[in-house]
Amino acid sequence: MGLDIRLPLGLIFLIIGGIMTVYGFVTRGSEIYSRSLGVNLNLGWGLIMFLFGLGMYAVGRRQKWQDDPVNPRPWERKGTSGH
Amino acid sequence: MTLSIIDWLIMLVYFVFVLGIGFALKRYMRTSNDFFLAGRSIPAWVCGLAFISANLGAQEVIGMAASGAKYGINTSHFYWIGAIPAMIFVGIFMMPFYYGSKARSVPEFLRLRFDEKTRAVNAFSFAIMTVLSSGISMYAMALLIQTLGLFRGIIPDQYIFHVSVFLSAIIVLAYIFLGGLTSAIYNEVLQFFLIVAGFAPLVWIGMRNAGGWQGIRHTLPASMTHSWRGMAHANTNTLGVEWIGLSMGLGFVLSFGYWCTDFLVIQRAMAADSETSARKVPLIAAIPKMFFPFLVILPGLIAVSITPHEAPGSPAAILGSPSAASVPGAPPHGIVPQKTDPLSGKPVLDSHGKPVYNYDLAIPVMLLHFFPTGILGLGLTALLASFMSGMAGNVTAFNTVWTYDIYQAYINKRATDAHYLWMGRMATIGGILLSIAAAYAATSFNNIMDALQLVFSFVNAPLFATFLLGMFWKRTTGHGAFTGLLSGTFAALLHHGLTIPADTAPGIHGGWIAVVHHYPSDMAQNFWTAIFAFSVNLIVTIAVSLVTRPRPDHELVGLVYSLTPKPVENHLEWYQKSSTLAFAVLGMLVILNLVFA
Repeated sequence: MGLDIRLPLGLIFLIIGGIMTVYGFVTRGSEIYSRSLGVNLNLGWGLIMFLFGLGMYAVGRRQKWQDDPVNPRPWERKGTSGH
Repeated sequence: MTLSIIDWLIMLVYFVFVLGIGFALKRYMRTSNDFFLAGRSIPAWVCGLAFISANLGAQEVIGMAASGAKYGINTSHFYWIGAIPAMIFVGIFMMPFYYGSKARSVPEFLRLRFDEKTRAVNAFSFAIMTVLSSGISMYAMALLIQTLGLFRGIIPDQYIFHVSVFLSAIIVLAYIFLGGLTSAIYNEVLQFFLIVAGFAPLVWIGMRNAGGWQGIRHTLPASMTHSWRGMAHANTNTLGVEWIGLSMGLGFVLSFGYWCTDFLVIQRAMAADSETSARKVPLIAAIPKMFFPFLVILPGLIAVSITPHEAPGSPAAILGSPSAASVPGAPPHGIVPQKTDPLSGKPVLDSHGKPVYNYDLAIPVMLLHFFPTGILGLGLTALLASFMSGMAGNVTAFNTVWTYDIYQAYINKRATDAHYLWMGRMATIGGILLSIAAAYAATSFNNIMDALQLVFSFVNAPLFATFLLGMFWKRTTGHGAFTGLLSGTFAALLHHGLTIPADTAPGIHGGWIAVVHHYPSDMAQNFWTAIFAFSVNLIVTIAVSLVTRPRPDHELVGLVYSLTPKPVENHLEWYQKSSTLAFAVLGMLVILNLVFA
């Protein structure tokens, strides 16, 4: 299929991770973190998710396997129908 | 429970992406091959993650945490014994036949190898079963949303259940209708990462609270923190099964019967871009699968080993105290709430007058207990994602089996490809409507659903013997396979009717013919039912095959092991070969079992 899954996967982690990081930054030291034993999970985990998303997105952009000329996908090979 | 705008925003982002993937893939759905088989063009790692994600439905996440809370770390046998060996076997030995035979579904493989009637049995029972499981998943999700009060204040309480059912149905319908199997697989990959992202911090913070693995071992009885201790005899472990029943029943018959023959998972591997990739799919899937006990079973153990925070930030909340297990005789329950009667609102008591705990709520309660606003939205998204992936897996398997194995086989044999593509979309709508019906049936006839699931377990129990003989003994005939399957199911029925687990009355638990044997637990009964069904199928299939005429060898090339050329892997480096991966997976499995023995 012509859509590399790493692009939407990267994007959703960038967005959700981003939201959590910003929210975590704004609510530093807030009372809400007594639930998580004083750990600011939004900031820490949000940042990790953001970085993961960044990595996925970058790899997805760089290695678009559907454009890889060395390894044609089945529907691009000779003698296959589908067009 | 009140959620803030941030939590809703995170959930909204997820739903936008889920639907967006469907829309983005719509233009690639030109043939039925694209819709049902993802054009056989997906890389191995994507299929591999979808392979486990499709199985990681609601029953899995909620059920495994509940068993973890109830029985302890030996629940991980369902992963380590009950999944990994079968996943290795299907990848190395069976995938070449599924993928190489060009069959488009598992029932179709049965027709190629045996005959029409064997396929019909499998296709019809599978189709009904998928719709039913998807419905039960939907029901469980709506019930959980209602229990947590997720929409409280937004919609009136009495509509929460209905809104949840229809909302989840519409979303799953939309993305499969648009993008077919590819859409389901892509969303399953998304769901996989979200489930990990949502539950990993939960386990981390929970472990901190419980004082790490050492703290849990200190709090809980030893039988709950060792996976193999006491397995020599059924009475000395929490599962109530001895090691033979466990390894033969769960580890061999049930697990191989599921992972090696169930089209729901096999379909993900069949979508891979080459035979080499298809063989790697279950092996790649086995690696995260092996570590899933830490994500879904451990929260159950943590939930029963900690005590509620008295006040935010109090020392007790940070230290965690071992008082949970201090009541003599009572099982540890930690923060798991008591079960309440939905009608009267009173706590449910068992026959000895002791309170009954609702272990199914272990994960939701953990989420509410530890997650502040923000990450709570992520945790709930992970939970919803697991429900959706379970439902979507069943629906894609259903629309394929319906279109190829029922509609094309018996109703309309010579239609155009465009017509079958259209039929696939209609089957998606039909499958979802039937799931909704099943979800509502579950609300009013709980026992009927249990009974139906029981019947399907009888249909499935003997299945692996048929595939094993079909693929590895060329003498097996269609008549043999058909008779064997039916006798195996009959044997399962008979065994269930004649035996009963301890402390239960004859009826749905067994013993409805006569009681000739007592099992220490229903799990033991379940495992032994499977062992009997498998053995009877094996013997009957061999016996009938020996007296019926086998098919000539040339018709079985590509379908039977001894007549099929071995997969060529000479062009691959040693580290690219599936056997290397298989040995690595096996090695890790042994290490895990030793660490938690």
